[in-house]
Amino acid sequence: MATSIIGHLDADCFYVSCERVRFPGLKGKPVGVLGNQGACIIAKSYELKAKGVKTGWPIWDAHKLCPEAIYVKRDFYWYEELSRQLVETVRQASPTVEYYSVDELFFDAGPLLKSRGREGISDLQKEILKETGIPVSIGISLSKLLAKLASDSAKPFGIDVAVTEDEIQALLKGKPVGDVTGIARQRRKTLNSRGIFTCDQFVKADRRLIRKLITKNGEDIWWELRGVSVLPIATSRPPHKVVARGGSVGAATADRLRIEAWIIRNIERLTDALEHHGYVCDKLGLMLGYKDGTGSYGTAVLLGPTAYFEHLAPIARELFETGYKTGKKVHYMHLIAERIQFKKDAQTSIFQKEPEKSLTGTANFVNRHTGRFSVRSAATLPLTDIYRDDANEYDICDIYGKTCF
Amino acid sequence: MCAGLAIERRNVPDHLIEKYRLQDRITSRGGAGEQEVHFLFRAKVPLLPVWHERNLDIYIWGNRDDRFSRLPKTGWCRMESIAEGKWEGLRPVQVEIPCSYGLEKGVWFQVVEGLKGILVRDEKARPHVYILTQPASHYYNVMTRHDRMPVFLGRGY
Repeated sequence: MATSIIGHLDADCFYVSCERVRFPGLKGKPVGVLGNQGACIIAKSYELKAKGVKTGWPIWDAHKLCPEAIYVKRDFYWYEELSRQLVETVRQASPTVEYYSVDELFFDAGPLLKSRGREGISDLQKEILKETGIPVSIGISLSKLLAKLASDSAKPFGIDVAVTEDEIQALLKGKPVGDVTGIARQRRKTLNSRGIFTCDQFVKADRRLIRKLITKNGEDIWWELRGVSVLPIATSRPPHKVVARGGSVGAATADRLRIEAWIIRNIERLTDALEHHGYVCDKLGLMLGYKDGTGSYGTAVLLGPTAYFEHLAPIARELFETGYKTGKKVHYMHLIAERIQFKKDAQTSIFQKEPEKSLTGTANFVNRHTGRFSVRSAATLPLTDIYRDDANEYDICDIYGKTCF
Repeated sequence: MCAGLAIERRNVPDHLIEKYRLQDRITSRGGAGEQEVHFLFRAKVPLLPVWHERNLDIYIWGNRDDRFSRLPKTGWCRMESIAEGKWEGLRPVQVEIPCSYGLEKGVWFQVVEGLKGILVRDEKARPHVYILTQPASHYYNVMTRHDRMPVFLGRGY
């Protein structure tokens, strides 16, 4: 396993920082960015965090702790613009970059650290602030997971280099094992039950025990935290296992026409995503979440691999007809394309006729020139209020190329 | 609706601060943030910043207290009532209300460009400005729990 020097760059309160780039009046103030229905805080400034407000909280709970906070509607289109600028700025310093998420990158920091030392990293941080207006924290270490822990400990707007044995030990000492990416609640519980609470205890534990407790994936984490890089920087996104589109439907509704309109809207978004990646799928799932906390889920195997709206929309409608519990208010939904493969590798089905002139292709062609959803299915007409709001055109999952969500 | 609004201090010229004695309305949200001038309907004298005939000025916000005035005793004007011609006799003129943040039921929300309002004159020809309102979008309703929202200039909610 090769020795590597990996950098992890994490934008500080990214969505808020993006808003401050175009609205400088927000600087230094408690700011919360609201999700797509105006109910929950999806990002917060450090000033709001200092008041005890947490991400995911409903606005009304946050308001109790910080009545002077300012709330901003999210704009993923703008966040992507700055996110891509961030990637480009880092690429100037290091061509090997993994676009991990909208506000996080991994990069090969070896050449920069070797040639210019810590000052080179500091200059990169300043260059990013100058070019994009976004403050970032940077962690440098021997593996991705260590670099991520280092950037986390450097927040806000700091740099932490942990490449020597002493530096790595200091980074891991006393840090809760649940802080490590890949160790979520269940794994943390399992480790805690064996007396492993901190990262330093984790790396001292027997490798075979870790593998037994939290599988091969856990063993990879063990190697990474010991400074042995086993998770390479992924410069391109690995193929998806599934592609899904959906989310909240705004005000919960039992109106069949409106629910169907949401389904068709999400099918259009799904076909858009499949086309972007060059995928086809041969299984479709519809998950409906109801206001009362219950839900339903149904799948259908298609007649062949496809990404055509003309094929997927009737199946989605059928899933709705058979799966919907009449009268229940739908709160959110997901349309899930399963059994994904690249279109170029897929075998054409003899049971499914390819549309001669695809509506999907024509609509996408027009929309590419005139704006997303300019041409859309008439079945989405009950959602005029949703389409009228530009902010609904774009969601976090519409930012392509990220290796994580 | 919108019970108050705020504008960055640097966007209000000094001569307006002095002329309308706005010093008491200059406030900060704490920390290193820029100061703002707050215009609240509940203020001793409710005022609004207004772009009118290419000038930024400060006018009286609606008619809160004058029972004897012919002007509607409110600070807001429904778009629907304009469409129904209920304000025609007052010869309303559309104006722009510059602000960065709006206040509704205690929640401060960002305003990207400003709000729309109407200017009418009282018996003494003094200008009064009412904020135009419309039914709240689902987003605004969830965010503020109010069923009416102001009419935004540019991107709204």
